Order: sequence, then structure tokens, then C-alpha cells
Amino acid sequence: MFIKEYFKDIYNAIKSLLVGMKRTGYYFTHHKEIITQQYPDNRLELNLPERFRGEVVMTHDEVNEHACTGCSACELACPNGTIKIINKFDISPEGKKKKAIDTFVYHLELCTMCGLCVEACPTNAISMANTFEHSVYNRGQLTKQLNKPGSKLRAGVE
Amino acid sequence: MSAAAIIFYIIAAFILGTGLLAVTTRKIFRASIWLLFSLIGIASLYFWMQLEFLAAVQIIVYVGGIVVLIIFSIFLTIKSGEEMPKPIFKRNLFAILGALSGLAYTARQISLYKFQLPENPAPFELKVGDIGRQMLSTTDHGYLLPFELISMLLLAAMIGCIVIALKQKEPVKQIQS
Amino acid sequence: MFSLESITTLVQDWLNKTFSPNLALFFEFVIVGVLAIALFAGLGLVLVIMERKVAAWIQIRLGPNRVGPKGMFQSLADTVKLIMKEGLTPDGADKFLFNLAPFIVMMVAMLVLAPIGFAKGFHIWDINIGVLYVSAISSVSVIGILMAGWASNNKYSLLGAMRSGAQMVSYELSVGLSVLSIIVLTGSLGINDIVLSQQNGWWIFKGHIPAIISFVIFIIAVTAETNRAPFDLAEAESELTAGFHTEYSGMKFALFFLAEYINIFIVCAIGATLFLGGWMPFHIGNWEAFNHIMDYIPSFLWFFGKTFFLIFLIMWVRWTFPRLRVDQLLNLEWKYLLPISMFNLILMTLVAIKGWHF
Repeated sequence: MFIKEYFKDIYNAIKSLLVGMKRTGYYFTHHKEIITQQYPDNRLELNLPERFRGEVVMTHDEVNEHACTGCSACELACPNGTIKIINKFDISPEGKKKKAIDTFVYHLELCTMCGLCVEACPTNAISMANTFEHSVYNRGQLTKQLNKPGSKLRAGVE
Repeated sequence: MSAAAIIFYIIAAFILGTGLLAVTTRKIFRASIWLLFSLIGIASLYFWMQLEFLAAVQIIVYVGGIVVLIIFSIFLTIKSGEEMPKPIFKRNLFAILGALSGLAYTARQISLYKFQLPENPAPFELKVGDIGRQMLSTTDHGYLLPFELISMLLLAAMIGCIVIALKQKEPVKQIQS
Repeated sequence: MFSLESITTLVQDWLNKTFSPNLALFFEFVIVGVLAIALFAGLGLVLVIMERKVAAWIQIRLGPNRVGPKGMFQSLADTVKLIMKEGLTPDGADKFLFNLAPFIVMMVAMLVLAPIGFAKGFHIWDINIGVLYVSAISSVSVIGILMAGWASNNKYSLLGAMRSGAQMVSYELSVGLSVLSIIVLTGSLGINDIVLSQQNGWWIFKGHIPAIISFVIFIIAVTAETNRAPFDLAEAESELTAGFHTEYSGMKFALFFLAEYINIFIVCAIGATLFLGGWMPFHIGNWEAFNHIMDYIPSFLWFFGKTFFLIFLIMWVRWTFPRLRVDQLLNLEWKYLLPISMFNLILMTLVAIKGWHF
């Protein structure tokens, strides 16, 4: 039985080696599969994959409304304290106090692009953008406010 | 002096110089490297004599085998990088005396043997096939018996290695319940 | 027809006519030396760019493409960088051996070049023990690596050197046995005789299955011999930074780097000579017309074509497979390659005695 195992090992080894070499041989001969992008040259027509995570952004629609209720689920989900949410209390027409977002502070310099905040958000207010040219001269510029000034909560989002 | 003689003296000086360095250096790893150069010098002497097969065997056996073995065992010792203490004078003296008496004995043996050049030295052609046949021939100058004896010795040594290296079976502990 | 042999005879005749024999010999030495160094430099440049391009294409990348057309002068830029760098010697190192080691490795690579037949009638030294000479001299390069590892006074270097030593010593056996199986067929160790014996077909075709088995074993074993992936345990970046040449920088590092590529060239040249006929054009038995057409391609083109084919094969293997563990490495050698090549040698002897080969 030992002999049988021995030759089976050799056969399997050669077979798996050939499978691997076939794959790499295919890539070697098919240059159109190359995925490298020559970045500074193609800056105008950059073609980044959709799932590339560059930074966290808050999506605003054309009338400057967002979907962030200020529930701070993202702040709790963030593993390294990148997000800080400052809330205010709006007075609704009925005279009731309602929690709303004042400033969504986002520290890009602390962010590891893990995407846990996006997953935690119950209203899909934030998402990952695929911008990546983040270099600045001053570290303070990396601390961003995500909600645009004057924006307010979209109606109907709880 | 012909060019061949000059080359011979250069090689001889190289062998002796590196040999001397091998015994006088106080770092053990350097000693092995000097020994290596000395052995390479001997191989080049064989090349000079146009005994290519012997030279190649010299390099394979001594340089590729024995010196590598020596270096590996040096690596396994702790003090491989440190300088050895200077040997005491008495030991040095006796070593020098021993070496000199060996030299004197060899020189006398060589001078007693009257080397005679043949009138017309035949061109020396050594084919590897001939060496192989000589190794296995049973005639007058054949080497079959020593060849086979050495192979038996090597086989015994290999079996011994396997026996030593074999993993000992763990004695099965009886669980008493 | 163009051949290198006619050029060499022309040069030799001219030298012997103009100068005294000793002086002519001296000039021949100088010419051979210059040619060998030029070959080294050229091979280094070509093989480095080839390796980087092959690696890039296999990994779906572009590879170097900035210096020169399609990045073809990248290795020149690398050379300039390496020359400009400072060659540091660590403080605790054994300075003499540390600086000697790269030269030993380089000299060994140069010496092995001697018996290789580059084209018909074009070799430095047609020694009658050619293949044995190559395997003997190349065993010295272990010493250079051990020396480099020990003299660096660095544990990574020492570990890399030990691994490399163990690996080269054990894989030498398989290389030797697979080479022997071709020697059995030719009955001579001389490179020229081996090439001439493939007049009517290359050994890999003439020697049936045993020749193919020994060819595969040869390729695997020389990949391990030259310390290349998947057998690059000696310089495993992820474990030992760079193995035995961790502490080397600048030109001294470049010498190790160059010697590695020269060694690849040499083992591939030996493989091409033994199995693929060296400079012998592709001949089939006694198809005179076909053989005659093949003869029109110059022999050095055949030699370099085959050698570069084997180099490409080794690079292909390198960039396809992950690195082996130490125990897997030794298992492969002692449990698989060695028994198979021993059995293969016996089979080959049977083929040679019975005359079953073509």
C-alpha cells in the first residue's frame, strides 16, 4: 500500500504543478489581462474598482438633504474613534424636541477604511468613496466635517 | 626558468603560505578557510600537471565535502567567532619541532629516491573511461577489491547513520484505570 | 556561412603570425578574459530585465516600463544605482572574510564558464572531464555563501547560510545522478563529445522515458542548487530578510546578485548541452534534407535559444509556486528525487547496454 501511496503522491504533485503552470502561462501570454494602471499618466480617465475604499463620505441629494439621523451607530462601530458626532435638538413644528445632527466629524488620519461604520449605519447615510489623493500639507486638514453646511435631514427618514 | 616552472612555484608558495596561515591563525573559522585555500592550491597543482580528473575529485571530495563538513561543525560550536588564546610556548615549540622533523624526513626520502626523467615522455592522455575500467578490472593492476571493500564500508556507514538517526518509538504508556 | 569558429581561427592565426608564441598566448588570455567579463555584464543586464518582465506578466502586471523603450534599459539604471551606493561593512563582522565572500562566489561562477561550448568549435577550454569539472567547481560556491553568512555576524545571515549549505549539499546528489544518466549514454564527460553524440537527435528524444525523467529531476534539482524559488529558503525574504546577503550593500551585493544569475545561466547551459544538444541544430535521424536546412541557423543561436528557453522555464516555475518548508525540501530530495533518480540511472544503464536508444 505504501508503494501505491508513493506513486499517487508523485502523480498528484506533477498534476498540480502542471495546473499551476498552465494558469501562469495563460497570464504570461495574455497581456490584455494586465490590471496595472499607470497612475499619474491616466489621472483624467482613472478607472477605479467600485469596491475600492478611499474615505467615508455622506451622500447628499440635490436639495442638500442627507439621511443621517445622528443615531451615532457609526461612532460606536468605529474601532479607532475616527468618527465623532455632535448632535443638536431641533424643535419640530408640533413643538416636540427632536434629535438631529449638528456636525459629523470625521478624522481621515485615523481611519483604516475598514467600512464598519457603513455597515452599521441604519439609514445608509454614509458610504465609502473611492477618492484616494488625500495628501495635504497640514494634518488639521484631514479632519473633515461630512455633513455640508446648511444641509438637513431628508423628510421621512427615521 | 620557463613559464610552467614559474607557475609551479607560485602555486607551491600559495599552498604553503595558506597552510601556514591555517595553523597560525587564532580564529577557528578563518583556519578552515585557509585550509580550504590550501586544498584548492593542491587541486590547481593537479591541473598544472594536467591530471584533470584527479583535480576535480580533489575539489569535490575535499572542498565540496570535507571542508563544508568542518565548517558546519564549526558553526555548531559556541565559540566560533572568538579569538583563541595564544598557545603556550612549550606547546608551540614541540609543534614546530614535530613539523620540522616531518619535513626533514620527507626531504630525505625524496632525495634518496632518484627521480629519472624518461628519454621521450609519452604524451599523457587520461580518459575517464579508462579510469572506470581500471577500477573494476580484476587483472594485475586492477582495483576491484579495494573499490568493493570501500563501497561495503560506505554502505555500513550509511546503515549506521540511518540506525542512529531513526526515531525511537515512544513507549506506549499503559493507562491504568 | 557565418560561424564563430572561423573568427577564432582567424584571430589565432593573425596573433601567431605577428607575435611570439608566448605573447600570442598572453593576448589570447586577455581576449578571453575581456570576452568572459563582457558576457557576464551582458547576461546580468539581460537576465535581470527578463526576470522582472516575466514576473510582471505572470502576475498580471506591467513590470518596469519607464527607462528606455518598454523599460528595456531598467537594469542599466539599477546598475548605476548599485554602483553609487556605499558598500557598508558591519562593525562586528569579520572584515576580511566579509569582503572576500562575494569575490569567491563570483570567481566560482567565472571558472565554471570555461568548459561550456557556446557554438561549434567555440569554447574556452575543451577539458575532457567537462561535466565533472562543472559539478566540482560549482560545489565551491557553497563555501562562499557559508563565508558570507558567518562573516556578517548576523543571525539571519548565518541561518540563511546554513540552510543554503544543507540544501546545496543535498541537491547536488540529484543533479549528479541525473547528469550521470546522460553520461552513461554518451560514454564521455567532455562537453564537446556529448554535443557531438547528439548529431542524429537530442538525448531527450533519443533516450526515451528515462531521459525525460532525468531532465525533470535535473530542472528541479538545479533550481534548488541555485537557491531560487520555490527553493529559496536561503534568502526567504519573509523569514530571514535576505538570508546570507542581508548585510551586503552596493557593489558587493551586486556581485552576489550577478553570480546568482550567472549560475542560472550556467546550469541552464549545462542542461541544454546534456539534454537538448548544446549548439547542435535540431536533427532527426537521417533526414538529410531536413538536417541540412537546420544547419543554416548558426550554432550559437541554437545554443543561446535553448539556454534561454530553459532559463524561461526556471523563471516560470519560480513565479508560479510558493516556497517550500525546510522539512518539505528535505523530504522531496531524500524521499522522492534521490530514489527515483537512482532507479532511473539503473534503467538508463539498461537502455545503454541493450542499445535501445536511437
